[in-house]
Amino acid sequence: MGNRLLRALVATTALVVVASAADAKTVVRMMHQGDPGWVALYGKVAERFEAANPDVDIELIYAPHDAYNEKFSSAVMSKQLPDIMELDAPFLANYVWSGYLKPLKSYVDQDLLDDMTASNIAQGTYPIDKELYAIGLTDSSVVLYGNKKYLEKIGARIPKSVDDAWTRAEFEDYLGKLAKVDGVKWPIDTFRGYGIKTEWVTYAYQPILNSFGCDLIDRKTWKAEGTLDSQACVDALTMMQTWVKNGWVVPMSSGTNQFYAEGEPAALAWGGHWFYAEAAAKMKDDVVVMPLPKFGDKSVSPDGTWIWAITSQSEHPDIAGKFLSFLLKDKEYRDFAVSQSAYPGLKSFAAQSPLYAEGGPMAVAFEQASKVAVPRPPHPAYPTITSAFMQAVDQIFNGEDTKKTLTAAAQKIDEDIADNDGYPPFGGN
Amino acid sequence: MSALTTVPKRRRRSVIARIGWSRFLQEIGMLAPAVLLMTAFLITPFLLSFWTAMTNQPLVPRPTPVRFVGLNNFMRILSDDLFWTSLWNVTRFTIWILPAQCGLAFVTALILNQKIPFRNVFRGMFFLPAITSMVVVCVIWGTLFQYPTGPLNQIVVSLSGGYIQPIDWLGDPNWAMFSIVLLSAWQAYGFQMIIYLAGMQGIADELYDAARIDGAGPWGRFWHVTMPGLRPTHVFVLVITTIQAFKLYTQVAILTQGGPKSSTETVVHYMVRAGFEEQKLGYASAVSVILFLIVLVIALIQRRLMRRFDV
Repeated sequence: MGNRLLRALVATTALVVVASAADAKTVVRMMHQGDPGWVALYGKVAERFEAANPDVDIELIYAPHDAYNEKFSSAVMSKQLPDIMELDAPFLANYVWSGYLKPLKSYVDQDLLDDMTASNIAQGTYPIDKELYAIGLTDSSVVLYGNKKYLEKIGARIPKSVDDAWTRAEFEDYLGKLAKVDGVKWPIDTFRGYGIKTEWVTYAYQPILNSFGCDLIDRKTWKAEGTLDSQACVDALTMMQTWVKNGWVVPMSSGTNQFYAEGEPAALAWGGHWFYAEAAAKMKDDVVVMPLPKFGDKSVSPDGTWIWAITSQSEHPDIAGKFLSFLLKDKEYRDFAVSQSAYPGLKSFAAQSPLYAEGGPMAVAFEQASKVAVPRPPHPAYPTITSAFMQAVDQIFNGEDTKKTLTAAAQKIDEDIADNDGYPPFGGN
Repeated sequence: MSALTTVPKRRRRSVIARIGWSRFLQEIGMLAPAVLLMTAFLITPFLLSFWTAMTNQPLVPRPTPVRFVGLNNFMRILSDDLFWTSLWNVTRFTIWILPAQCGLAFVTALILNQKIPFRNVFRGMFFLPAITSMVVVCVIWGTLFQYPTGPLNQIVVSLSGGYIQPIDWLGDPNWAMFSIVLLSAWQAYGFQMIIYLAGMQGIADELYDAARIDGAGPWGRFWHVTMPGLRPTHVFVLVITTIQAFKLYTQVAILTQGGPKSSTETVVHYMVRAGFEEQKLGYASAVSVILFLIVLVIALIQRRLMRRFDV
C-alpha cells in the first residue's frame, strides 16, 4: 500500500515537472475590478496578447469593487502582489508611500505617455517625487442629469456651460418645485443606493464641500480639524441633510435607477459620466446634461478613476508594461469604453469619443474637467479620510447633528495622521 | 492556612512510571497533532493578538516604525461613542433574536416531533435556510426589503388595507436592526430546531407513559415532562445563540454596512472597519480582545447556569 502510494506520488511529481518544463512561460498577474462586461473584455485582450507573445501567460485576478482595497491588503500580507494592478486614483498616494508601486515611465510605450491628458497625468502622479506611477485610458466626472419633461414643466433654466451653472438658490428652488410636479416622486437621485461605505460618497460629495469653499482636509498642513469641521463644511452638509429631510433625495434602499426607471420617479440625477450610456439608452432625448451647481463662487466637479500601475514586486515589469501598452491601445477595449460612455483620459481616445467633443451631449463634463475639477486629497491617509467622511455623511443624512459629526470625523483623521508620525515626508500634525 | 499546608503530601508517581515509556510515547504521539495544530492556529494567534493590541501595528507593512503603545488602543476604543453604539446594537440584536429564533426553533421542533405525515420531508425543508449561504439569503432578503415597492412592503400595505405606509426596512434607523433580526432568525433557526429535536427525542418514552397513567393531558405532559427534560437543551441553545448573536457581521456587511446612522453597526463590523479599511491592525486586535472578554463572561455565566440546572 505504502509503496504504491509512493510510486503514485513520484509519478505525479514527475508529470508536474515535465509539464512545467514544457510550459515555461513567464506569468504576469494582473489584479482588477469591474463590471462583468469589463471583466470579459480583459480576458479577451489577455488572450490576444498571449497569441502575439506565446511565451507569456497573463493571469487575471478579479477583486470586487467594494472590497478591492481589503483584497489588495491581503495580497500584500501574503506577499502575493500581482505584477499589474488596477487602483482607484485617490489611493495612489497611500500605495506609493507604502512602497507598493514602481514608477512606470520606463516600461510603458512613449506614445501613450505623450497621449495622456493633463488630468490623467495628475491622477497618476505622486506629489512627493512627481513621478508617474499609473496610467489609464479614462478619467471621470460627475454631472447633473435632468429629465427634460419635468424641467420644462417648472420652466427651469437649462445651463449650457460651467460658467452659467445653477446657483444654490436656483437649484433648491427647482428641487422644491420639482417635488410638486406630477409623476415626480423624488426631485433628485444622488445614488445613495450605491451604499454608505462606497467611494462614491466621497467622490460625489467632495465637490459640494469644495464649492462651499471648504475641503476634506487642509492640503498644506494636512490637518482636518479646522477644515472638515469648519462652518463652510457644516453649512454644506446641513444643506444636504435638509434635502434628505424634505424628502427630495431618493432613499438608499430604493436602488440605483430611479432616474430612468419605470415612470421616471426621479427628476434629476447627481450621477457619474458612466450613467449617461444607461440613461440615454432608456430616455433618449429626454436626458439633459448640466454642470454641477455653484453653491459658492463656482461649480466644482470631481475627477480620478481606476487606473493601471505596475507593482514594485513585479519580476517582469517590462512585460507588464508591454501588456499595459497593448491593453490601452486595444481597439475592442476602446470601443467598449466608448459604449460605456467612458470619459477620455488619452487625447487619441478623446478623438474617438464624440460624446465629449465640442457640441457632444457630454461636452459639459469635459469642460468641467478642464476648468473646475478638484481631485481627492493625494495623501497616504486617504483610506481613513474617506472612511471617516462616508461614516459622517451617513450619520448626517439620518439626522445627526452636523457640527458634532464632522468634528468627530476630523478628529479621527488627524488621529490617524498622528499615529503615523504625519506620514513623512508629507508632514502635518 | 497552616492546616492546609501540613497535610501530608502523597508523592504522586510520575506518569511514565505508572504506564511505562512506550505507552507514554504512544499517547504523546497521539496528542501531538492536535496540540501542534491548536498551538499553531489557535493559541499562538490568540496570544499574538494580545500583543498586537498594544502596538500601532498597521495591516500591511508601512515605512513608519511599529511602536508599543500600551493600553492606548483600549482607551481609545472605550472612549469612542461608535464602539459603545455597536456594543449596544449587538446587545439589542441579542435581546430580540433570542426569543425570535429560539421560540421559532422550539415551536417547529415541537410540531415536527409529532407523528405527522412526511415528517422527514418537513424537517429537511425547515432546515433548508440554515444550510443556505448567509450571503445568498441576504441578497434575496435585500430584494424583499426594497423600499417602497418591495414584496414585503406590498404585503404589509395590502394586508393593512393601506393603513400602514411602506416601511424603509433597511434605510430607516428605527427599522434596520429589526429587519436584520427578521432575516437572521429565519436563516438560522434550523440549527436550534435540530438541537431541540434531538433534545426532545432524548426524553424517554416511559416518562410520557407514566404521565399518561397518572392522568396528565397533552398540556400536563408538555409542562411536566417535556419542559423539564429539555432544560439542558434550553440552556445550551440560549448560550450558543447569544454567542453567535454577539458575532453578528455578515448580514450587516452585505445589507447595511453598519448604517443607517450606525443603527446596525456591530462589534465585529467595527473591528473589520478598523482593521481592513483603516488598516489599523493593532486597534482592531484590541477590539477583538474586548470582544473575547465579553464572550468569555457570557461563557462563564453559562457554566454557572449549567451547574445550577444540574447539567
